[in-house]
Amino acid sequence: MVKPRYIFGEAWSIARSGARQTLLAVGLIALSLYVPALFALLSRNLGRLSSDAEAPAAVITLDPAADRREIARKVAEDPRVREVRIVSSDAALARFRRAYPELGAALGDLKEAPFPPTIEVRVRPAAARGAGTAIAAAARAWPGVEVAESEEEIGRRFADGVRIVRAAGLALGGVLVLAAILSVASAIRLALDLHRDEIEIMRLMGATETAVRAPFWLHATGEGLAGGTLALLLLYATFRLGVSYLARTPHPVLSMFWGSFLDWRGAALMPLIGAAAGLFGSMISLTRRT
Amino acid sequence: MIQLFRVSKEYGRFRHALADVTCTIERGEFVFLTGPSGAGKSTFLKLLFRDEPPTSGQILVNGRNIGVLPASQIPYFRRSVGVVFQDFKLIRRKSVFENIAFVQNVLGLSRAEQKRRAYQVLKRVGLHHQMNAFPDELSGGEQQRVAIARAIVNEPTLLLADEPTGNLDPVLSEEIMRLFLEINIRGTTVLVATHDFDLIRRMGKRVLSLDRGRLRDAPLRRESAPSAVREAPFLPLG
Repeated sequence: MVKPRYIFGEAWSIARSGARQTLLAVGLIALSLYVPALFALLSRNLGRLSSDAEAPAAVITLDPAADRREIARKVAEDPRVREVRIVSSDAALARFRRAYPELGAALGDLKEAPFPPTIEVRVRPAAARGAGTAIAAAARAWPGVEVAESEEEIGRRFADGVRIVRAAGLALGGVLVLAAILSVASAIRLALDLHRDEIEIMRLMGATETAVRAPFWLHATGEGLAGGTLALLLLYATFRLGVSYLARTPHPVLSMFWGSFLDWRGAALMPLIGAAAGLFGSMISLTRRT
Repeated sequence: MIQLFRVSKEYGRFRHALADVTCTIERGEFVFLTGPSGAGKSTFLKLLFRDEPPTSGQILVNGRNIGVLPASQIPYFRRSVGVVFQDFKLIRRKSVFENIAFVQNVLGLSRAEQKRRAYQVLKRVGLHHQMNAFPDELSGGEQQRVAIARAIVNEPTLLLADEPTGNLDPVLSEEIMRLFLEINIRGTTVLVATHDFDLIRRMGKRVLSLDRGRLRDAPLRRESAPSAVREAPFLPLG
């Protein structure tokens, strides 16, 4: 039975004896995980857009002085309409802040409400295609209506696009994570090459395979954990830089992809994937023949 | 103690490192293993500490056939055998103490006990003041003495040495041989592979001579009885 004190002591000694190689391995692992994580962040924001509530078929933008209830009542009389929702300026701002917590703060200093009041119109599933366009066209003639646009086609195309991009993202993300694991294994293998002689000596001195391998497993797991944590920090730094840039220079498309950071589960996953990749890499590198 | 019955070792189909070797080494004996380069000396030793299995034949160490030892048992067997290598095989990132206490550390012996044992064996080889030094800070002779200390720290019943003086000058070589003799006098069986015939002549111990993998009559052999029960032979150590 190998004592834990020995395993931890040896793992620490291995890390110290090749400090430069350890740092190099941690850096490589961090870079390997950073790229797929960046992709996961973009994918997450995209996914959030597609999973938002069902898009309205038409949006009617109102004059601030218009009678919202009256216009909403008129819209609701149409038999094709399933739901009419009045969205005030404050509600629109609150919704924006919820969707983009980082960018929403940048609007806090504005004296006027940045979003006009709107009415969102959702149609029944049985309604004919083009119902949204027809409702918008009718609403344009009503007093108090500034703009009325059908979102039907745009919404459908956007949802389809998001689905395709997400599917591609999942596939590419999977490939990148696999590549990251292989990179980690290579980094670990490099580190093990440095200790090949002493592994042989340990075996000759009567060390069991567990006693030989366990410190290297622990060392590699630690490297993976550190690499994953570094990748997470790099990702967060990148995100903050992006937020800071978009707050200064808002961009209609980029802002959508850069709305919020990973949740705590996603963030915790990065060091865990690093640690698992380190352990896996060391296990496939350190065979009996090593 | 050690018995080899018709032991052969082949590397591939056409390279016969050892061929049909049969011999016995008694408990407490001091034996030299000699022969020209490529004669099979190192292979002979490798078989004895189960670095490699024989291709055929039986090797009994303390009555146990180590040729068929399961892989999981090999580390435990090796702990009962001390091995000294020509290139010392010290772990460079570990101090002298850590190199010697390695197996005890794996086994979880207390630090104090590890130190006590390491100090004892280092004192025997005259290096107790170098406990915290690293191998690269020591001379070749000192490194070899550390390797010997590591080999005897577990109080093995068998000590194997592969060209232990190959990298040392004559004065250091004799110092190392004197250490082996002291270890042998305490009851450990010692088998030293060397092609230093002058050294073998001066020691006057039993000789196993290998030639192209075959054991032949040893012309340098002077005695046949186990040496541990006799007085130490001539050794002009000043």
